[in-house]
Amino acid sequence: MFDDRSPIYRQIADRIKADVLSGALKADEQVMSTNQYASYYRINPATAAKAFQQLVDEQVLYKKRGIGMFVSAQARDMLRAQGRETFFGEVVDPMVAEARAIGIPLAEVIRRIEQHEDNGGV
Amino acid sequence: MKIFRHLASALGAFCALAALGAFAFAVVLTFVVSAFKDVEISAWNVVMSQVARWFLFWVGIYLVHNVLPIAVAHGRTRREFFLAASAFSVALAAVAALLGWLGFVAEGGIYALMDWQADEHGSPLAYVLMFLVWTAVGMFCAAAFDRYGSAGVFSVPVGFVLAIISTTHIPGAGRWPIVPNLPTAVGAGWHLLSLAAFVVALGLTWVIVRNAPVRVRS
Amino acid sequence: MQIDVQGLSVRYGDVTAIDDMSFSLAGNKIYGLLGRNGSGKTSLMSALAGYRKPSGSVQLDGAPVFENAAAMRQVCLVRHSADAADKGDKVSYVLEYGAAWRDTWDNDYALELAELFKIGLKTKVGALSLGQRSALGVVIGLASRSPLTMLDEAHLGMDTPTRYAFYDALLNDFMAHPRTIILSTHLIEELASLLEEVVIIDAGRLVLQEEADVLRSRGTEVTGNAADVDEFTATLTVLSEKSLGRTKAAMVYGTLDDDQLVRARQLGLELGPIALQDLFVHLTDPVGGKR
Repeated sequence: MFDDRSPIYRQIADRIKADVLSGALKADEQVMSTNQYASYYRINPATAAKAFQQLVDEQVLYKKRGIGMFVSAQARDMLRAQGRETFFGEVVDPMVAEARAIGIPLAEVIRRIEQHEDNGGV
Repeated sequence: MKIFRHLASALGAFCALAALGAFAFAVVLTFVVSAFKDVEISAWNVVMSQVARWFLFWVGIYLVHNVLPIAVAHGRTRREFFLAASAFSVALAAVAALLGWLGFVAEGGIYALMDWQADEHGSPLAYVLMFLVWTAVGMFCAAAFDRYGSAGVFSVPVGFVLAIISTTHIPGAGRWPIVPNLPTAVGAGWHLLSLAAFVVALGLTWVIVRNAPVRVRS
Repeated sequence: MQIDVQGLSVRYGDVTAIDDMSFSLAGNKIYGLLGRNGSGKTSLMSALAGYRKPSGSVQLDGAPVFENAAAMRQVCLVRHSADAADKGDKVSYVLEYGAAWRDTWDNDYALELAELFKIGLKTKVGALSLGQRSALGVVIGLASRSPLTMLDEAHLGMDTPTRYAFYDALLNDFMAHPRTIILSTHLIEELASLLEEVVIIDAGRLVLQEEADVLRSRGTEVTGNAADVDEFTATLTVLSEKSLGRTKAAMVYGTLDDDQLVRARQLGLELGPIALQDLFVHLTDPVGGKR
């Protein structure tokens, strides 16, 4: 569910983006309606609508009048490109800082990452 | 009109049932008494002159204390409710007096059949007026206690005076202190005074109720 | 339904429950009226519903509400122990009043809700548990379908499953029949996600009125070296502070701009979000920090 520590509409948008990135939501697949979403997650429909509107503005979703909202064809590629831009700043740098703080040599971290590569992992 | 209609259907049926039950009880009681001694008074007049007015007094209290807050809570104004309740009290008094008169006719038949003696009773108009005043005094006292708490006791002497004005032409309803014969000496014109008592009781109720807050129920 | 409150005061003898309050609500939203016990929530709602004569002005869609038949028709307020329910009456009888006196009443929905909350129609109101009586209040409030529906501490005494059933019913009915709904509570955590806008009052005064989602981004907890925290928060609204040794954590209210974010990073301060509930507690804290 959603927490009360940041705007819920942003949390909803992030969750849908994550679903698009992971492939749980595919291109041209219909997403839940605002009301279904509000009812399912027990949140204010205006809040849900705001999240969906933001996703439409960012071209992650598109509207079909009278039918509903769908994942845009280019959504996944677009989100991946955005993710790549922020990946090092938001994921790698804090990880390195954390490794330093608890005394793990970076070489060890790199070795671990290489293991993932060898296993053909994610 | 909606308020009046619901009051009439919800409370009217209850009042009619109560009257029917009271009549049956009075008849049964008369028969039981007749086994021990001669019947000399009208049992129905005891109901009409003593019991009924307290019942209508209670209806007045119930209207203001219990039903008025519900009406406001359902989006009706105090004014709308007050007008409907006033109209209802007139209708109720008239119906109660009519039922009372039918009761006297029916009782008269039974008494004639059994060769019992009945004392005199009042005119239908006298009963209508007494019921009107007692209902309105009930509304007035309930309004005063609801709004002013224990200071509402000051409404009691006022209500008492208004109430006994209306009972003077009812045999068996009690006589006046000090000047017991005054009302009879004045004659039928006294009815105007009863009518005035009703208007005063309603007016006082409105003065209290028009700005009264709806209290939180405990 | 547009609601305008202007210079409203409510007094009980010497006690001032609402003190010269003014605000406007645009309507057709679910509002949360938040305040501690005794902050004046019930008094405010009573004035909005025409339950008491206001000193100051209370207008619904531009018309004063008190003793105004047209405006009163649009309002339903249920205070905690179910206003339109007499203790001596059976539940079925209580619902009949609604059906008889409310033009907008949906009786099928009322019966459906009564069944959902497992309120026996033949039970007397006085024999209901506190939670059931609250639920009866919700039945009256929702089935009234009033353009302005206010529920005061509607969750009182309800167990958790019943509360969730209430939230679901409220949300679904609001989506099916959009109207202005005001919920008062001092328990925010569960209800917060239902609210679009929040009005916080304290000691009879308006503390703030804000979109719930905006409020969620307004509070920041600043943690770090005490001297640095003090420097950083000198120009900010600090709701509360606590220190442990040389470390200090301060709750600040307000949106931080980019310069401030940069400065925080330079000072090595940690910035974290504050939950709505905590923000509320500190905004209405009687011993709260500098306002």
